[in-house]
Amino acid sequence: MTDDTIREMKDSFASSTVYRSEDVPLQCVPPPDELEDTLHGLMKLNGLIIRSLEEIAGRGANAVTYRAGRKYGHEVAKYFRKIEDVEEALKELSNILHGQYTIEIWKPADKDRYIIEENGSTFIYLVFHDCIVRQTLRRNGQPQGGPLCLTLFGYVVGAIEEITGRKAKLEIVHTGPNACLKKLILQ
Amino acid sequence: MYRDRVVSVIEIRVDENACNGCGLCVKDCPMQVYELRDAISVPVRAASCMGCLSCHEICPAQALEHRGVYPSRRHYIDIRVCEMLNRVI
Repeated sequence: MTDDTIREMKDSFASSTVYRSEDVPLQCVPPPDELEDTLHGLMKLNGLIIRSLEEIAGRGANAVTYRAGRKYGHEVAKYFRKIEDVEEALKELSNILHGQYTIEIWKPADKDRYIIEENGSTFIYLVFHDCIVRQTLRRNGQPQGGPLCLTLFGYVVGAIEEITGRKAKLEIVHTGPNACLKKLILQ
Repeated sequence: MYRDRVVSVIEIRVDENACNGCGLCVKDCPMQVYELRDAISVPVRAASCMGCLSCHEICPAQALEHRGVYPSRRHYIDIRVCEMLNRVI
């Protein structure tokens, strides 16, 4: 590296800004609409971490990411008000997650109720519309339904368990480019 | 958003001239929205469609059209690539 290159690099980071201990940034700098490169960098990084985890841990990667998501869900939701009604809890969760994920309670046309009881199990269909996991996977050309999806699964399950006090399980029914269908099984 | 499904109805149209009757949409749809009739895909249960748009992605003839689907956010599209494509197109 020549002296000129080093000087040029140093100059590009030179600044006359004075930071004092009381200077707490009150705004996101740069503005969020200028953060596209950062967002893409994060999505790429997340995709690479998950890909590497799958290579090293194999199917165990799913257990790791699910566990991490579930813990995070419990952590976040422990500050929410407790609601016994699952539909209400899902509505609350959808409002909280708005911006990252949008969740819709869904039922097939031939069902009368959202809470479906079939073969001794009780479940609710959930359609995930906006989802940063799906965007990350599609950005990196990775298949849906893998360990990164399970992080989100864990998150929803953990949050629902914490809010309602009931044990829950989530299953992938279908993944698509615009929305994914999941089944929240209540125990 | 949390929306009431009762009021949002998805309308599906199949371009009969374009559909080649491959049946991929019939196989792929988890809600059995499509059926093959006279080698053409027919959306027989459009009310059960949840708007995942897998059928759009899988249809080799691009014969499908959905109306009333909530379009999810797509941050994975690079704005600069889109700008470049728009210039070229």
